[in-house]
Amino acid sequence: MGSDSRFCHVRGRPFLEARDVTKTYQVGAETVYALRDVQFAALQGDFVVINGPSGSGKTTFLNLMSVIDRPTSGDVFIEGQSTSAKSEGQLALLRKTKIGLVFQSFNLIPVLSAAENVEYPLLLQKRPPAERRTRVAAMLSEVGLDALARRRPNELSGGQRQRVAIARALITGPMIVLADEPTANLDSKTGEAVMDLMRRLNEEHCVTFIVVTHDPAVSRYAQRRVRIHDGQLIEEDVGGLASPAS
Amino acid sequence: MGWRLPLRSLWRNRRRTILSLLVIALGTAVSAFVFGFLENSRLQIQQSTVQEYGNLQIASPELWNSKTDGYGYLIAPAAAAQVGGLLAQEPGFRGSTSQLQFPGLLGTGRDTQVIRALGIEPGNPVLDFADHVVAGRGLAPTDTAAVFVGRTLADKLSLSVGSIVMATLTTVHGAYNASPFTVVGIYKYTNAQFEEQVVFIPLAFAQRLLDTDGVDRIVVSLDQIAETSTVAVHLTTGLAASGIALAPRTWDDLSPFYRQLASYFNALFAFLSFAISILVFFIILEVQTLAFLERTREVGTIRALGTTQREVFVLFFAESAWLAALGSASGVAVGALLIAAFNAAKIQWLPPGTIDYFTLGAKIEVGTVLVPFAISFVATLLSALYPAAQASRLRVVDALRVE
Repeated sequence: MGSDSRFCHVRGRPFLEARDVTKTYQVGAETVYALRDVQFAALQGDFVVINGPSGSGKTTFLNLMSVIDRPTSGDVFIEGQSTSAKSEGQLALLRKTKIGLVFQSFNLIPVLSAAENVEYPLLLQKRPPAERRTRVAAMLSEVGLDALARRRPNELSGGQRQRVAIARALITGPMIVLADEPTANLDSKTGEAVMDLMRRLNEEHCVTFIVVTHDPAVSRYAQRRVRIHDGQLIEEDVGGLASPAS
Repeated sequence: MGWRLPLRSLWRNRRRTILSLLVIALGTAVSAFVFGFLENSRLQIQQSTVQEYGNLQIASPELWNSKTDGYGYLIAPAAAAQVGGLLAQEPGFRGSTSQLQFPGLLGTGRDTQVIRALGIEPGNPVLDFADHVVAGRGLAPTDTAAVFVGRTLADKLSLSVGSIVMATLTTVHGAYNASPFTVVGIYKYTNAQFEEQVVFIPLAFAQRLLDTDGVDRIVVSLDQIAETSTVAVHLTTGLAASGIALAPRTWDDLSPFYRQLASYFNALFAFLSFAISILVFFIILEVQTLAFLERTREVGTIRALGTTQREVFVLFFAESAWLAALGSASGVAVGALLIAAFNAAKIQWLPPGTIDYFTLGAKIEVGTVLVPFAISFVATLLSALYPAAQASRLRVVDALRVE
């Protein structure tokens, strides 16, 4: 079995696409380019790792791809549809139904249990209670947290919290999961476990993963590796993908 | 997250939430207590006013407008009978009595006092003051030259049951008349001035003294005070339709004191409620703004997950609604305990112009707690509008950057 076979990869129209995306910030009188004329496309089942040093524009790129921010120029397309003219409410709907997000600091809601955190996106989708219960139980089981369902985030370890966050990102069955430094707040062993989990979910659910990281260890999981430097994206040749376990 | 997230969010900072609840509860409790106290006082005064005036009185407009010379306003027996017929048709009508009032002097040979004599129908339960007797008895149907005097007047003229007094008055024709009276009883009343000036005599004897067969007013008693205005409107129409030149006046029209007092109580309660609302509003505004600032990143997270601006607004607003409901409900409970303790203490007070101590009390019922509850609830909800709007308008990326 070739290394690529570990990834679910369906060729076809890109699910997520950035065309000529530029993002600038005004710092005093100076215009700072966070991203400059970025072209990017992700197909269903891709597992993309985006590397880059701190301040290189990784998080800006992820924010634009997850439509929580708008580009200064250019456009982001989701399932071939432009997002530039969409209202805040329409973008929220896209995030709610098509996109899953995983944050560096987990960003769980502290007053809700693990199960309730995972349930939250389903509530936003106004799913019936019985369906919510079934799907949450299945998802928690999939990330190995069924025994900790009732625990609050402060009663969970960092790795457990990130697994809850991943479960929350996947509960609605999104087409794509965008993860911002998902291992940055974890020790290397827990980080590996989290990446293994994401890779497995990518394989099993055929969900596109875009992982932004400055951790070279994460790059080993990439099916596609993109380096971001001075606001430009450079696709790198993954070559013979190393097994994370090797 | 339905009701769970806003409710649980309340307890993130327990100390602050408890402080907020205390502020709302205290405001509601004070408001409920004051409203209960004022309402109790108002109702007691209302009851005593209705006891003094009846629910309404029917008389000539000349009497009501004080535009008359002599006794031109008197109601002839035929007109009084017609009025009786109209009254009998009114639902809630309990009874009526005719009165003839006139000024005069009451003397004992040593002292003289200006009085207002009320000729009443002895035995008619409407306004007979029989349950106010402190010595002797009230007037009986068989009485003729009998007088029922107030306690203050009795003290002033050194009268007791059996005393003989001389009443001097002017007849309807302008002639002087005088008659001796026997004091058959002494009454007490809440108003010292009333006790000093008003004496009751039998109506038939009053008519004989004034040399008339008329009465100056018909006092009407109804089952419910609340029916007064409706009956007054019916009577106005009925009297006009029957061609009777008489008009009704309700008990609150007849007592400017009550109206002034009720309006003062309303103003006092409105001012207090306003002050409490402002206090609650600004404290909760401060607390909710702080709570929002602390959760900026969380707002960013839930917005990133697809929560709309409206849903964020509702989330924060629902949190304040819980705070408002819990705080106001606790305030009602505290207010009820406060009122129960206050009523149990039976604090005595001598209101100005009275001679008997009055037991202070406060009323607790749905109406008296609903208003303070609603005021605190609304003030808390209004205070949440700004922080909730601020939270909903946050830019997601900016919110996520906040540590």
